[in-house]
Amino acid sequence: MKISVTWLAVCIGAALVAAPGLAQSSAKSAKAFTPPKTPWGDPDLQGQWPASSQIPMQRPATLSSETQLSDEELAKRKADFDKAQAADSEEFAKNTGSGPSSINPPAYWIERARPTKQASLVVDPPDGRIPPLTPEAQARIKALRGGKGPGSHFPDVVNSWEDFDIYSRCISRGMLSSMLPTLYNFGNEIVQAPGYVVIRSEMIHESRVIPLDRRPHVGKDIKTYMGDSRGHWEGNTLVVETTNFNGKIGIGGAAPTTDALMIVERFTRVAPDELSYDATISDPGTWTKPWKIHYPYKLDPTYPIYEYACHEGNYMMLNALKGARELEKQGRDTAAHQFSPGNR
Amino acid sequence: MRRTVFAIAASVSLFIATAPVWAHHAFEAEYDNKKPVHLVGKVTQMEWINPHSWIHIDVTEPDGKVTSWMVECGSPNIMLRRGFTKHSLEAGTILDIRGYQAKSGDNKANGSSVTFQDGHRLFVGGSNPDDPESKRNPGQ
Repeated sequence: MKISVTWLAVCIGAALVAAPGLAQSSAKSAKAFTPPKTPWGDPDLQGQWPASSQIPMQRPATLSSETQLSDEELAKRKADFDKAQAADSEEFAKNTGSGPSSINPPAYWIERARPTKQASLVVDPPDGRIPPLTPEAQARIKALRGGKGPGSHFPDVVNSWEDFDIYSRCISRGMLSSMLPTLYNFGNEIVQAPGYVVIRSEMIHESRVIPLDRRPHVGKDIKTYMGDSRGHWEGNTLVVETTNFNGKIGIGGAAPTTDALMIVERFTRVAPDELSYDATISDPGTWTKPWKIHYPYKLDPTYPIYEYACHEGNYMMLNALKGARELEKQGRDTAAHQFSPGNR
Repeated sequence: MRRTVFAIAASVSLFIATAPVWAHHAFEAEYDNKKPVHLVGKVTQMEWINPHSWIHIDVTEPDGKVTSWMVECGSPNIMLRRGFTKHSLEAGTILDIRGYQAKSGDNKANGSSVTFQDGHRLFVGGSNPDDPESKRNPGQ
């Protein structure tokens, strides 16, 4: 009960502050709001900031051309959320008849993210779409896996672990994906110490320890999935530049970038319970121009991050490869077909 | 004595894809949509492991033979945030499970629908991030 009352107070506080949704309006709030300081004088960004607002990466073609949803579009998103939430809370399972209804666990086992007015994570280019791939990137990506293209969540052939993408293999979501909303485990925690900021991401099991002393990046031959992050303060904004990627992973489920990928993030606490987040992504070996996303993290002190040791019981690879061999014996299609589109 | 039933549907059901794609793993890579199963059995173990939890059940077939199955379910982190603990599903509980068998032919299935015998859902509960009555319990 104590937690509920506290949480209610946070919600009321949020309503009074009237936190805005997009980068432009957040910038205005950043001037109006002075964040608390840590005992050593840095702006205090610490806390649980789960990515619990569901915003698609790119603006769906079905939406209007505005950066925010119309009232009608938002009403539809909210109605869909309420309907799903009501279905999640039904005490009894619906009669499924003589057979199962889905190959996935039931929908009420995922975690719901709240609808917002923001039309897409991508705010630049202004059309809300990731810029086109360069011709070189198209050729590079097509050449992967001996010409079959990148590994996938739903591979067309299941002959090797490399037919699955890096995330499906429990290795990493990489950067920037680790910061982005997903269907569950969307916790992010910020912890600060003198000279350092640490960002923990629940999906999947990542911690970035970011030094703030302007030291240079590690040597150019050191390349990792999450890259090498360096931070500094610009006023009340934490700016983090990440380089030294290994070029093996994409963003938001897309094809791998190159090792020239650079991500610059800007974290600004614009209200007691809102962290404005902007990230500019550039990789001349992949996209024709840089692009930018915006995300409004909401503070949720009740959100507990649990360890997600993804490899612990990851039987998927064994089951999938063994299953594909069995299907081959039966002369059947071994592809892991995608039965419905989804936001990963 | 409780009666348990084991049946694999003889006909191939038309698959209607209305459920959202599972976020982390493609269950389609593991399970055979041409092998729907309906399992009623007694829980022997609940494995709270990442990335997904597994329920172990013993199913008594019509001829009396007992077959052990493993049923893949959702992430343990989600269940914990909804207030469930390792004691929420004790050995001996009878569950009614509908899903699809593994493509490998092993006695493994996905848990599309996992209910108690009276139809109550296992792990029911919404996860609205704005719900002040959330079952989240950071103390555990």
